[in-house]
Amino acid sequence: MTGSDPTAPASLSEDDLRERFERRDYVADAATVTTVSLALQLERPLLVEGPPGSGKTELGKVLAAAFDTELIRLQCYEGLTAENALYEWNYTKQLLAIQANEGTVAGGDGPTATADVDSADRAEASEEPGTVFDEEFLLERPLLRALRPGTDRPPVLLIDEIDRADEEFEAFLLEVLSDFQVSIPELGTVTASHPPIVILTSNRTRGLSDALKRRCLYLYVEPPSFETEYEIVRRKVPELDAVVAAEVCAIVERFREEAFLKQPGVAETLDWARAVARLRESNSADAESADAGGESSAAASISAGEIERTIGCLLKEAEDVDRVDTELLEQLRDAAAAARDRLED
Amino acid sequence: MVSPHDADSGDSAETTARGSTDSDRSSAGGGDDPRTATAASNRFGDAATGSDHGVPDFVAARRHVLTELLWLATVLRRNGVSVPTTGPLEAARTLSVVGLSEQSRVDAALRATLVTEAADRDAFDDAFPQFWHRLRTGLERIATAHGRDRTTGTDDADGDPADAGSGREEEPQLLPEAETPSTVDGQDGPGPAPQVRIATDRRRATGDRPDAEESSARRYSPVGGSRLVDAELDRLSSGERASIHRFVDALATIPGRRRRPASSGAAVDARRALRASLATGGAPLELPAREPTPTELRCCVLVDVSGSVLDTIDRSVLLHFAEHVQRRARYARVFLFDTDLVDATAEFERSGGNPAAALRDARVEWGGGTKIGAALETLRRRHPDAVDRRTVVVVVSDGLDVGEPELLEDGITWLADRADSIVWLNPLATSPAFEPSSRGMAASVPYVDALFGFVGPEDLAAAARQIERRGLDGPVGYEYDRRRRERTGATADD
Repeated sequence: MTGSDPTAPASLSEDDLRERFERRDYVADAATVTTVSLALQLERPLLVEGPPGSGKTELGKVLAAAFDTELIRLQCYEGLTAENALYEWNYTKQLLAIQANEGTVAGGDGPTATADVDSADRAEASEEPGTVFDEEFLLERPLLRALRPGTDRPPVLLIDEIDRADEEFEAFLLEVLSDFQVSIPELGTVTASHPPIVILTSNRTRGLSDALKRRCLYLYVEPPSFETEYEIVRRKVPELDAVVAAEVCAIVERFREEAFLKQPGVAETLDWARAVARLRESNSADAESADAGGESSAAASISAGEIERTIGCLLKEAEDVDRVDTELLEQLRDAAAAARDRLED
Repeated sequence: MVSPHDADSGDSAETTARGSTDSDRSSAGGGDDPRTATAASNRFGDAATGSDHGVPDFVAARRHVLTELLWLATVLRRNGVSVPTTGPLEAARTLSVVGLSEQSRVDAALRATLVTEAADRDAFDDAFPQFWHRLRTGLERIATAHGRDRTTGTDDADGDPADAGSGREEEPQLLPEAETPSTVDGQDGPGPAPQVRIATDRRRATGDRPDAEESSARRYSPVGGSRLVDAELDRLSSGERASIHRFVDALATIPGRRRRPASSGAAVDARRALRASLATGGAPLELPAREPTPTELRCCVLVDVSGSVLDTIDRSVLLHFAEHVQRRARYARVFLFDTDLVDATAEFERSGGNPAAALRDARVEWGGGTKIGAALETLRRRHPDAVDRRTVVVVVSDGLDVGEPELLEDGITWLADRADSIVWLNPLATSPAFEPSSRGMAASVPYVDALFGFVGPEDLAAAARQIERRGLDGPVGYEYDRRRRERTGATADD
């Protein structure tokens, strides 16, 4: 690693990191910045947990953008095997190569049943024995690619939703994460020259093994406070009026107090903010063409109708949507009204 | 959270970074104590940037930090946090990066290494302040003690470089906080002061207990004069809150039958084992485990607020317990009863951390006599929805019933029939000589799933421990309380 390079992640101070986050419009609290900075400095994998939509995956993406490096993403799922994640031999290509060689030497009538034998003969005869197990036929999967980046910058390896993978895969991952090396029997051991920045995310659908947790630094992304969320909305949805953005956040905050099946996360807030912004845009366009309607001024507060029409952005369960009645809408309006005052403070 | 000094510490060299952090910190701390800050920044600012003056005892400081780290890990483990074996080691490593000057950064660093479960964050929140206090106090002591040694040896901060320890270079990161209160020097007198000051409990000195004359004159009459809720509640210590949380969490395991996959454990997950056995030709080579999911808690708390109970029990804990149930449970009702039953659910719901004030505002009275039977009758007639077959009923009462025994028997059988389980917390049951022989208790005990003593938070923790270990169907109750045996043993020895 280029130790003197000021942009090397490991030698980055917290302020630099915060600044880089900010430049990418990623609003992080102090604890997050400290923990991420620690993970970078200690070159430890970072295990990120938190409610869905709280920006766990985004953290990996932002890190990659901040260090101007490759983001290698490994989405985990049940049944994910080491081959899918690490490397595979390109069998088709291998077979084709064998057959191609066979064709030039043995003529076109060689039955496929003897292809293996023939190829073995061929391999012995040629100067390069065992050529089908060569770089050329190696299909790099995310983990191997993270160990062998094209550049001299460590890539960001985002292992998403590790809890969905099987425990066997988790154990396999341990080996990779502890040494940053894998051995390919046919090729030899591949060691990372630049250990990747590893971010693991989990939604807690099952408990992770102690061994994995022990190797990682742990970060729990808290649901954002009103101020943080407001900041996020302002940055990500700049087209929305500031006051309306505050109302959006206040309403979402109020929503989270309800015992919904699926709590709206930050991602939902952003979706909703965009929806509201779009709705208002088209409304104001209509209003201008029809008549100069006084009610649809830019900073008009969110109406109950607007909430009802766009509720699908926030609540993703039919039962939850059913629970939004006039009474709750009334309370939401109150929260929105209070948001204006909070903004002025 | 983040103090402005970070702007200066862009250096990659660690020692220098730490140095500027500390000196900045001490000048920033000038607001707190201007007298000491200047002196401190002279002393430690110089030392940290690499000159040889006035270095605190690094060996002692290092040992202190490590000891406190282990202490924190032990406390966390005791409170059920699964701290990884290498957690403290990792924590020490991260501390060497973030330094010890800023609480928020230390908090984040230790949280990243000692906590590995989302559920454990509360326990960490509870334990960290005390850790921080112990750490700071100890480091200040060390710095102060050393400063005294130094001033007797040399005369000034810019004096003799001889006492700069040779081992100092190895541990620059363990530089203690710069804001050493030099005034302590005069107060403490000579000699090393290794004693770590620990946060003292400051409750019960206030209005929790009735004063002596009142209690001596007090009569537990069936119609005892009720009065408004008068307890001025203090904040509970983190340990006390942890006990309450633990007990309520233990309650939540009672109705649960759902299980989730676990990484280890005794209960085999048959479904996953079968599925895994497909890969091995039907031979189950591995036995995946599962554990009970902490389920939603439906709870009904019946608190006896007769004078006899209120005088024995820790009221702060009682009210906070009720409030925490209210907050933690999916569905909870809280009733207060003496001779009558009052639904206090709404008051606790709105309390916002101060249940006593909420009760006072609602003009809920307490302190009369006890009529459990009548209370249960009222519950049955007026709040039948409060208890269903998934509800865990927690009764806090001493069972000194003055009502009609038939009514009590009717009520408790109805309750046992209807509820998932009844947990009875009796303040008298903490006594080693306790037997449920009072009329009310004797009538109720056959229908109660578990009877625990409850005076203070430690009783809740003990009860929680039993429920966690053995479940409500196992041998749990006041008679299995280890402390009871110890106490009886002690009295027998006397």
